[in-house]
Amino acid sequence: MPDHTNVMVLDDEPIVGDRLRPALAKGGFDVEVFTDSAAAIERLKQKSFGVLVTDMKMRGPSGMDVLRFVREHAPNTQVIVITGYATIETSHEANALGAYQFVAKPFKMRELVKLVEKASKLTVS
Amino acid sequence: MDATTQPAAGRPPDAPGAGTAAPHEHDVSNPAERLRRAQHALLSRRRLSIRLRLVASLLLCFGLCCAFAVAAKNLLGRARGKLNLLQTIERLDDRILRVRAFEDEGILSGSDIEKVLEGSRDAEDLFRKETSALQAADREDLPALLGHLGTYRRLLTAVTAQGRERGGFAVLTPTQAAKLRHAETEANKLLEAMIRRERVSLSAIFQLAGTGPLVLVGVLLLLFAAITYCFAKALVNPIRRFEGYTSRIAVGDFSLIGPARTYRDEFSDLAVAVNQMLAALQEQQNRLVKGARLAVVGTMTSGIAHELNNPLNNISITAETLMEESTTLTDEDRWRLLQDIYFETERASEIVKSLLDFTRQEKREMVPLELGEIILSTLRLSQNEMNINNVTVAYDVPPDLPRIQGAANQLRQVFLNLFLNAIQAMPSGGVLGVSAGVRDHGGVCVEVRDEGAGIPAETLPRIFDPFFTTKEPGKGTGLGLSVSSSIIKKLGGDIQVTSELGKGTTVHVCLPRAEEQ
Repeated sequence: MPDHTNVMVLDDEPIVGDRLRPALAKGGFDVEVFTDSAAAIERLKQKSFGVLVTDMKMRGPSGMDVLRFVREHAPNTQVIVITGYATIETSHEANALGAYQFVAKPFKMRELVKLVEKASKLTVS
Repeated sequence: MDATTQPAAGRPPDAPGAGTAAPHEHDVSNPAERLRRAQHALLSRRRLSIRLRLVASLLLCFGLCCAFAVAAKNLLGRARGKLNLLQTIERLDDRILRVRAFEDEGILSGSDIEKVLEGSRDAEDLFRKETSALQAADREDLPALLGHLGTYRRLLTAVTAQGRERGGFAVLTPTQAAKLRHAETEANKLLEAMIRRERVSLSAIFQLAGTGPLVLVGVLLLLFAAITYCFAKALVNPIRRFEGYTSRIAVGDFSLIGPARTYRDEFSDLAVAVNQMLAALQEQQNRLVKGARLAVVGTMTSGIAHELNNPLNNISITAETLMEESTTLTDEDRWRLLQDIYFETERASEIVKSLLDFTRQEKREMVPLELGEIILSTLRLSQNEMNINNVTVAYDVPPDLPRIQGAANQLRQVFLNLFLNAIQAMPSGGVLGVSAGVRDHGGVCVEVRDEGAGIPAETLPRIFDPFFTTKEPGKGTGLGLSVSSSIIKKLGGDIQVTSELGKGTTVHVCLPRAEEQ
């Protein structure tokens, strides 16, 4: 069982992790930040997370690849996908792969933190 | 020859609107004004139409034939007159000789004398009437001849009158006989001379009638040769010139046709029409290039949105942190956050600026350009497309590359098309190779390589066709390479594509080196 307070933030924009880390920590989450998706997948193999916040388009494996990996290896982890360019197709694809929520950039941090809180509760129940 | 480069150069100096240098240069940049000037230069020449020349040549031939016919008819008339004259003279001479035969016997019959008298009268009448038909020498002799004939006739008339009194026969006294004989001899001498001369003159006329047609045939031959040469020149040369025009238009050189000769004809009308067509083609082409440029931006929408939304998101969440945590943040933290906002704003404005640079209409001026700079700025524009497609760049453009002649934005459009094609050819990532160098022919060549699936040999010849695309519907307009090719050819360069199935595709772009001052 993943510890529902473990949250991973994956975005190749370092500022996203820098800002989300303290905001989520304030909400009582244990946050790990990654900017490289391959390293993040390696970490997902070692540790279970309650919630994964991932960017869609990245160098190396994309957010969709990470989502697929999580569905296969950590089905209990809730995934929130953020993207700079949201299309109906990508949102459908993410939903079909069982993403918890699809969030377009630019997002409000307060709303994202709320989403993570809701998702983590889903993990517990 | 034709001013294929600068149409305005062919304009006659006396044409209206030559004006001062400043408005002149200003006007030339305007396509409508350029067209107006080219058309004016073509039309302001003296008109000498092919139709007019054709009609004039035919009339000349017709006139020559008419003149010959009139001359032939005239010659025939003269020959007929001479023949008549000659016949009369011969008859007269013959009669005089016959009378003389009787005289020798001293007896003349009345009827003989009547005949001689009649012949003599006829001859005199004829001589008077046909004086003009006689040779100059004959005309001089004529008064003497007529004198002798008069004497002769008077004597004969007198003798006849005496003879009638005596019962039909005339007998001459010795003095009469001597006088008559003298007149006869003189007249006979003159007549014989006349006959000789008129025969010579008649044979001259016949000779002329024989050689005349040959001369006419010769003259007509020369005339036809001259006319054929002139028309061949007037028709074949312009057709050759127009062949040249069509082949340069085919490769996208739409510069207007200028005057090639000092006069204008039907081909000038054609040139005017072709210029009109060229202006329309140029406008069409400009629209196509602009449309393709916007379409290329359209295909980058996801990249651009990503590229803009990332810094915007960073700014947004950083500002949110500043507002939420304003009381707990240290001065150092606050400074770091403000710095983030500042640089992220820079980043967003950069992408907007490069996009604006790219889509902005610029004057199509040919200027010396650093190819490396253009390639780098275009690579920056497509950086995000590369990032999200896991494409990396292998950049090998020497910094000391000679400058090339071109228009910066048009070249950016070409390279962006090539880069995006290469990126899209590698959906699962790969290396985009960009290299450049000076080639044997002195031009500067750039190679853009991808590691994609390659293009089948049967498709390769079609890739420059407008609207031909191998991409899925909605992903490509089919205009990228077509427009790129027309841009490169217009800049005086060349674009080639080589491809190997399973290994990748390389596009070779060669551009003329700039004339360094």
